[in-house]
Amino acid sequence: MDSYRIMVIDDEKIVGDMAKMSLEQEGYIVETFLNAEPALARLKEENFNVVVTDLKMKGIDGMEVLRTVKKLYPNTRVIMITAFANLDAAIEALRDDVHDFFPKPVKIKELKASIQRALSNK
Amino acid sequence: MKNLVGHLRSIWGHYKGRTRKPRSFMEIFRHFKEVLASNNRALEIITDMGEKLSGDYLFDINYVKSSYSELSSAVSGSIEIFEYLTQNKYPKLKDVFNRIDKQITMLTYDIVSTSGEMVIFYDDITWDMAHNVGGKNANLAELKYYLKLNVPAAFAITTNAFDKFIKHNRLDQKIEALSGENAEIGPRLNELQDSIVGSEFPPDLDAAIKAAAAKIKTLCGENCFLAIRSSAEEEDSEFSFAGQFETYLNVPAEELQIKEAYKHVVASLFSIKAFAYLNQFGYDIRKFKMATACVAMVDAVSSGVIYSSDPAGDRDTLIINAAWGLGESVVEGQTDADFYLIKKDSNPQIIDMRPGRKEYMVINLAGGGTEKVKTPEEMINSPCLTTEQVIELTKEAVSIEKHFRKPQDIEWAVNKDGNVFILQARPLRIQENTKSGVKPLTLPPDLNKVLMKNSGTVVQKGIGAGRVYILKHMDELDNFPKGSILVSKYDSSGFVRVMPYVSAIITDIGTPTSHMASLCREFKVPSVVGTGNATQVLKHGQEITLNADDGNISVYDGIIKELLESTDMNTSKIENIYEYRKKKYVLRYISPLNLIDPLLEEFTSERCKTMHDVLRFMHEKSVMELVDMARYGSGMLHDHGAVKLDLPIPAGIIVIDTGGGLSIEAGSDKATFEQITSVPFKSLVKGMLYPGVWHSDAVALRTGDFLSSMMRMTDITSDSSSLVSYNVAVVSGEYVNLSLRFGYHFNMIDSFCSDNPKNNHIFFRFTGGATDITKRSRRIQLLADVLKEYGFNINIKGDLIIARLANITKEDMEEVLDQAGRLIAYTRQLDALLHDDSTVERYARKFINGDYEL
Repeated sequence: MDSYRIMVIDDEKIVGDMAKMSLEQEGYIVETFLNAEPALARLKEENFNVVVTDLKMKGIDGMEVLRTVKKLYPNTRVIMITAFANLDAAIEALRDDVHDFFPKPVKIKELKASIQRALSNK
Repeated sequence: MKNLVGHLRSIWGHYKGRTRKPRSFMEIFRHFKEVLASNNRALEIITDMGEKLSGDYLFDINYVKSSYSELSSAVSGSIEIFEYLTQNKYPKLKDVFNRIDKQITMLTYDIVSTSGEMVIFYDDITWDMAHNVGGKNANLAELKYYLKLNVPAAFAITTNAFDKFIKHNRLDQKIEALSGENAEIGPRLNELQDSIVGSEFPPDLDAAIKAAAAKIKTLCGENCFLAIRSSAEEEDSEFSFAGQFETYLNVPAEELQIKEAYKHVVASLFSIKAFAYLNQFGYDIRKFKMATACVAMVDAVSSGVIYSSDPAGDRDTLIINAAWGLGESVVEGQTDADFYLIKKDSNPQIIDMRPGRKEYMVINLAGGGTEKVKTPEEMINSPCLTTEQVIELTKEAVSIEKHFRKPQDIEWAVNKDGNVFILQARPLRIQENTKSGVKPLTLPPDLNKVLMKNSGTVVQKGIGAGRVYILKHMDELDNFPKGSILVSKYDSSGFVRVMPYVSAIITDIGTPTSHMASLCREFKVPSVVGTGNATQVLKHGQEITLNADDGNISVYDGIIKELLESTDMNTSKIENIYEYRKKKYVLRYISPLNLIDPLLEEFTSERCKTMHDVLRFMHEKSVMELVDMARYGSGMLHDHGAVKLDLPIPAGIIVIDTGGGLSIEAGSDKATFEQITSVPFKSLVKGMLYPGVWHSDAVALRTGDFLSSMMRMTDITSDSSSLVSYNVAVVSGEYVNLSLRFGYHFNMIDSFCSDNPKNNHIFFRFTGGATDITKRSRRIQLLADVLKEYGFNINIKGDLIIARLANITKEDMEEVLDQAGRLIAYTRQLDALLHDDSTVERYARKFINGDYEL
């Protein structure tokens, strides 16, 4: 069976690095990006099962990532993480069918569980 | 006892001739409460940061910044009130805080300090200079300063000097142009190294080195020689960098020679081997700064390495490796060494001694430099240390381990006069016995041919399988096939180049204390050294499986899948992420607690190294302030009726009544239980006095338990004749604030108990602990289990429990306070008994059922 592919987008390297190491331990194939432009470009080439994205980023932000993914790749689930406990953004994201929404710091165990749920919901 | 007497004297000293502005007790008490409140807030932030940065959470720098800014303002706010409270009795605390704050801010905001000297002598190095002088210098200077160990005269050439040197020669662009692409990097690194070696020194660095050379001669004579080695920022702390950079030994302490060696040490940062190492652990070579250590040479008769805890065994044994001459032969694994296994004890005992066949030794040459020579025949097999020297080394190693609170890898030398010198100390990487590690697995011996059995010493436990690659020459490493097993006559730190993809390493000669051994542990490469004849027994290209376990080394013919599958191959860990380590580094200035025993002389504001220390210091001194007020404050004592509570148990409580809390005659300095009129206080004490809950007989303690010293101390401090007490109750008719200090534990109960349930509260706070972390959390768990039973809201953060109960009737309050009093008394000595999780439940159940037998 092919491994699931997870994409992590966060403008801080540490988030991607830690997520990659933790998720690879679960057997996922993980790719990380520091901003959304190359991430969206990569999505054109490769199918990802889950995209974990930061909300607030320079250039294309997490909301836009969510909308683009929902529109172009409806089978890909999106998990939003954000440094700011922003209720409005959370509601907006939920409206746009985000799979999950976590304030940072996010417990890696919970992120893993959320990804598992996203994958089993298919 | 001596310490206690000294402490008492110092307290007396405070009061002789000290004049104080008259302050009302209410004012002092208010400040006291404010200090505690902001301290508590700060501790909660510290605990939260420890949790979020533990590796279990994804976090970003915003979290670190915002948490720290909150912490910093809580602590500085606390200091301000503390200064009022103590009337500036500790003026240095603010400076200490500012220094720590500066370190953390620099780390958090990635500010590199640019000011500062280019050369610093060890006597002027303080703990917060690690950034400037690198880990190796900082550790050695600390041993010299704090432990007064024999460290040779030395100075550091700082990272500032490095920066200036690089910029002066316009090498910064070349360094900036280096990137992580391994393929094309070799020639560029070589070119950079050449440029460095051919570089000029900026005039001010020139002058600084010249002055340093002159100064070190005044310390160790005209004929002074130096060991010049790297001291990189994280070196000897998180990662060892063992043997990664060049070392120059026996360099004449002359400007020109020092500069020449300096250039080569700096150039070694850009070697292919160092580059591979840095890359592996996520360092960005472009941001890496190297300080240099220049340490006076010891004309060593013998030298070697100590592991302050046996990496393969118990924490209560220690290993010394010793060889003739300089230590290089031992650390590079080039010769066999004497081996000592010693039981660490107040009376150290040599358990095992195996003299090595020391065929070669490295000696200092008269004009500078060193030479590897044949050991004189009569010395080859004779031990190079006397029993006294072994014992002395053991004691020093134990004190270093205690000081850094981690097992240490120590380099030492003994000179012609028999004096012991410490040349280096760094944390020893010991493998932890993880549950996911190697499962014990026994194979039927007849199924697989055993090629080697129990020869050599395990450096890193584990199982590795692959083709044997017998290395004859270091150049062959370039062609080393990934996944092979490296088999070699000698061990070498140069093997680091293949460590990311070698399956195992086996050598004929070598010691578990070499650089390579450190690296193998770091990279978790299963490895065995000193097998004697692996290069002969094993054939180049042959498939084998190495199973290196505690006291059991087997090399099987062929690849044994069952064995391989029993290991958890995924050894990658969060700790290996550079960005993570870098951000977590701030905790070093935040969480560790260095000020532990307030009865020791070291308990001063100047000794605070972390935010936690600052808080601990303030807490202790604030409580002391109240205690002092009560006991010695001239008019205050009588004005506020601070009296000793006379109880049948040695709880050592002093009561300050702010109105209606006691019913005693004016001028009396004692109160009995019956004279307590404070409703909440009376209930608490009633609980503490409940028959059977206060166990005065010492609980059996395990040897080495930190608690044993604590319990002894408790007995002294609670002795009714003693002048020192840490237990203060501030009371009124409806209020109590009881601060208890039993040994290292702080317990605070704050309660308001009136006829109006809305105003009532009980706040129960417990923190501290000198026993190991698991027992600590067990006590916390026990408190939680019981308090929950009485309806408390519980908040546990690591070592801290905060329990709140509010809005209940006076009658219920009295009942709960009675139980809380019993709980305080009951759990006072319990740590030592909580050996496992099941005992927690059992004791909690017993307590709730009113069975107070221990």
